[in-house]
Amino acid sequence: MRIALDHVFDRIGRRAEGADALIRSESQLTLRFETGRLKETALRQETGLNLRLVTGGRVGFAGTTDLSGSRALDDVVARALASALEGEPCALAWPAATRCDPVRTFDDTVAGLDVATLAALGRRMVDQLARDGWQVSASVDRFVEETTFANTAGQTFVYRSTAIAVSAEVTRVKGDDVLMAYDDVTAMAVPAGTKLDAAVARIVTRMERGERVVEPPEGKLPVLFTPSGSACLFLPLRQALSGKTVLQGISPLGDKVGEPAFDATLDLVDDPLHPGRTASRPADDEGVPSRRLPLIEHGVVRRFVYDLETAARAGTASTGHGRRGTFGKPAIAFSNLAMRLGDADEAALLGAVGQGLVVEDLIGVGQGNVISGAFSHPVALAYRVDGGEITGRVKDAAVAGNAFELLKRIRMVGREGKWIGGSRLVPPIVLDAVSVARR
Amino acid sequence: MLPADLRDRLAEALKGSRADYAEVRVEHTRSTRVAFRGARLEGAGESVDGGGCVRVLSRGHGWGVASFTALDDIPAMLAAAEEMSRAIHLERPVRLAEMPRREDVSVPAVDGDPREVPLGEKRRLLEHLNGLMLAVSPKIADTGASYFDNWTEWAFANSEGSWLYEVRPEIGLSAQATARDGDTIERSLESLGLRRGWRSVQDREGMFRAAAERALALLAAPTVEGGTLPVVLDPRLAGVFVHEAFGHLSEADFVYENPEARAMMTLGRRFGSELVNIGDDGSAAGLRGTLPYDDEGTPTQRTPLVDHGVLVGRLHSRETAAAMGEAPTGNARAIDFRHPPIVRMTNTYIAGGSGTLDDLIRDIPLGVYAVDAVGGQTYLENFSFTAAHGYMIRGGKLAELVKDVTLAGNLFQSLAAIDALAGDFQWNQMGGGCGKGGQFPLPVTEGAPHVRFRELLVGGEVAA
Repeated sequence: MRIALDHVFDRIGRRAEGADALIRSESQLTLRFETGRLKETALRQETGLNLRLVTGGRVGFAGTTDLSGSRALDDVVARALASALEGEPCALAWPAATRCDPVRTFDDTVAGLDVATLAALGRRMVDQLARDGWQVSASVDRFVEETTFANTAGQTFVYRSTAIAVSAEVTRVKGDDVLMAYDDVTAMAVPAGTKLDAAVARIVTRMERGERVVEPPEGKLPVLFTPSGSACLFLPLRQALSGKTVLQGISPLGDKVGEPAFDATLDLVDDPLHPGRTASRPADDEGVPSRRLPLIEHGVVRRFVYDLETAARAGTASTGHGRRGTFGKPAIAFSNLAMRLGDADEAALLGAVGQGLVVEDLIGVGQGNVISGAFSHPVALAYRVDGGEITGRVKDAAVAGNAFELLKRIRMVGREGKWIGGSRLVPPIVLDAVSVARR
Repeated sequence: MLPADLRDRLAEALKGSRADYAEVRVEHTRSTRVAFRGARLEGAGESVDGGGCVRVLSRGHGWGVASFTALDDIPAMLAAAEEMSRAIHLERPVRLAEMPRREDVSVPAVDGDPREVPLGEKRRLLEHLNGLMLAVSPKIADTGASYFDNWTEWAFANSEGSWLYEVRPEIGLSAQATARDGDTIERSLESLGLRRGWRSVQDREGMFRAAAERALALLAAPTVEGGTLPVVLDPRLAGVFVHEAFGHLSEADFVYENPEARAMMTLGRRFGSELVNIGDDGSAAGLRGTLPYDDEGTPTQRTPLVDHGVLVGRLHSRETAAAMGEAPTGNARAIDFRHPPIVRMTNTYIAGGSGTLDDLIRDIPLGVYAVDAVGGQTYLENFSFTAAHGYMIRGGKLAELVKDVTLAGNLFQSLAAIDALAGDFQWNQMGGGCGKGGQFPLPVTEGAPHVRFRELLVGGEVAA
C-alpha cells in the first residue's frame, strides 16, 4: 500500500505544499449465534484511502473506497484540491520522520484463526448459559487491520493489528417482565478460557440478582456504578478533556488545568503504548508517535488531548490523538483510556453503599446535554441495596445528577476493573447523593 | 457510477453459485458534506463510497455473508460466503417466505440535482445559516451547522431471477447551538432529512434561528420537576415514542425464535385504549424511510401494527415471515453494503385523533408538556426518551420553560396510559436515524399528533 500512497503524492505534484494520507485495510469476520445456535457467518473486507492536503495555505481532504485504478486516484486528488479551495487556512505541523516506540498490536494466532475455532469460543459461552427460559445470543468478531501512513515531511509507517471480541447476552421473558444481561471480552489476543468463563459468571450473577423484583428506593442516595453502568459519568469527562471542546470554549474543564477538579482518587491516563489493548498503536493516524499521557492526576486536571489541526488553532502541539476514517477529516479520539483501580472488593463496595442502588446499565446515555455533565436516565439493570447487601432488581426507576459534581466526592473505588470495548479501563465506583426517582 | 454491465456480471456470478439461495447487492454513493463549527468552516468536500454484499443460504446450513469494497471479485466473494454458510449446520433449517421474481428500475425525480450544485454554493448556503445562529447573542458560545447530500445507486440481484436498480437520494441540514453563561451550558438541536433535491433545503433560516434562541432561553430555565405526572408530547416527541416504545418490539426478529416473547406479542392482544392506532409505512409518499423495495427485494407496504388498541401485525423479513407463517412486509433493511439486511422500521406512525393541544392540557392541574426529541432508546419493554425542552403545565395552561426533560416508562403501562390524541398529525422530517445491531444511522421517519398520557415518569433532580 506504500506504493499506492506514493502514486497519490505523485499525482498531487506541485499543486499542494504538503499532504498526508492513510490507507486502512480491514477484514472483519463475525459469527452470530441466535437462540443458542450459530446462525450467520459474515466477512467484511474493506479498504479506504483518506487524503488531506494544503494548497495556498488552505486545508482540503477527500476519501474513497474506490482504489480500482488511476482514474479513481485522479478523482480523489481532484476532490481534495476542490475541498481545499473552500477550506480554512491552517498551519499544520506535519510530523517529520521519527522512529515510533514499538508496541504489540498484532497477534499471529488471532489472524490465523479459522471459523471452527472462532465458533468454539462463542459456543463455550453459549453452552454454559443454557437454561430453561433463557434465550442466549452471542457473537464472535475477529478483526485484522493494516494501516499505512505517509506524509510529505517524510514520516511513514505500516503496522498491522488484530482484535477479538466475544460477547453473549441472555434475555429472559416472564409475562411482561424482560430481564437481560450482557458481557464481553475484547482484546488484541485470543482470550483465555478462564476469561470467557468469568464473563459467563458475571452474566449468571446478573440474571440471578435480577430474578427478584423489589420496590426502588427514592431520594439522594449512594450509588455503586459498575463499569458497564458508569458511561453517564465518563462520557462527559471524555468530551470535556477533548482539546476541541476546550478550543470551542465549552469545556467545563477548559480553565481548570492544574486545579483539583475531582476527588483525589481519580487518576486518568491515555496510553496508546499499553500492550495488547484494542486501541494500542505506534503512532496516531496523523503520524505523531504514541506516548503515555496522564490527563488527570490525583483529581487534578493536567492536560487535554489534541490532533494536528486543533493543536495548530490552539497554539499547542498535537498530543498524538488524531484518528481518521475513510471519509471526512481527522478528528480527536482517545486511545486506551485507563482510570486507576482501587482496592475494594464487591462486599466492601456494597457496604459503602449501605442503603442505595447498584447501577449495571442505564438507558439512553449520550442523549441530552452531555457536555454540561447533567444526566438523567432510567435504569436498564439496577439492584437495590439494603444494609450493604443486594436485595433485588429495581424497575421503573431513574437516576440523575451531574457527573462533574458527583466525581468531586468519590466514596470508594473497586479493584475489579473492566476494559470496556477493549480500550477503556473502568473500575466500579461508589458516589454520594445521586438522585434516584421512581414512579 | 455503477458499471454499465453490472446486471450481466451479477447474473453470471449468481449462475455459478451452488447455494440454494444467493443474492448480491451493489451500491455506489457520492456524497457532499459541509460543516461549520463556531465561525469556522470545519470542512467541505465530496467522498466516494462503494461496494457490495453477497448473502447465501444452503439448505440445512446457516447464512454466509461477505461484504467488500473491491467489485472485481464478486464470484470469489460468493464462493467465500458459500463456504461460510456450509460451515454452519442447523437442525431447524432457515426458510424464506415466497417472493415472486421481479424486475424494476426506479429513479426518482428530485427538485434540483445536488450533484449539479458547486461545492462553493453549498458552503455559502451553510455559512449564511450558521451565521444566523451566531448573530442571536454573544452567549451563543459554539455552533455546529452541517449540510449533506448523498446520491446512492443501488442494485440488487438474486438467484430467483430478480433484478432491481434504484437511485436513493438524500439531503439534509442540521443546526446545533451551544449557549454558555459561566458554568451553565445548554445545547439545542434542529435537523432536517429528506429524500429530495437542492431546492428542498432552501428557506430553512427558521430552524437555525430556533436552535440558537432555544439554547439561549434554556440558560435561564430550571430543571423539570421530576416525578410521575400527566404528560403531553408534541408530535415530534410522540413520533420518537412510538418508534422507540412500540416499533422495536414489533420487529419480528425479536420474537420469532423466543416462545415467551411470542406470547408477549400475540396478535389480538390489547395494547392500549380504543384511541390508539399504530403502523409502519415504507410506501408513504416522499418520506425519508420510503423506498420502493427493501434490501431483500421485497416491495414496501403499509403495515398496521395496532388497530384501536389491539395488536394486529408486525414487521418482517423473508426469514422471520416464513418462521412465523406470516407474510413479508418489506422491512429487511441494511444501512449500506457493509451489512446484511435485518428487520427494521421505515416510516412509523401513531394516527391522529381530534381536537387541539389546548384541548389536551385544559384539565391538567400540574403536568409537563415535553417538546421535541433529542433521542430515545428502548430496553425491550422499558424505554427512555429525552425531550429537547419542555414546559410545566399549571392550572390547564403552559407555564415556565424547563430543561433536562427525560421520560421513562414501560411500554404496556404507557400505551394504556394514553388518554387523548389531538387531530394535528404530522410526519417529522428529521435527520439522524435509527440504530440497531451495529447499523446506524438508518433513515426513518416518524409521524404523530400531540399525545396525552395520564401519567409518565419524568426524570429530574429530586429533593434531598
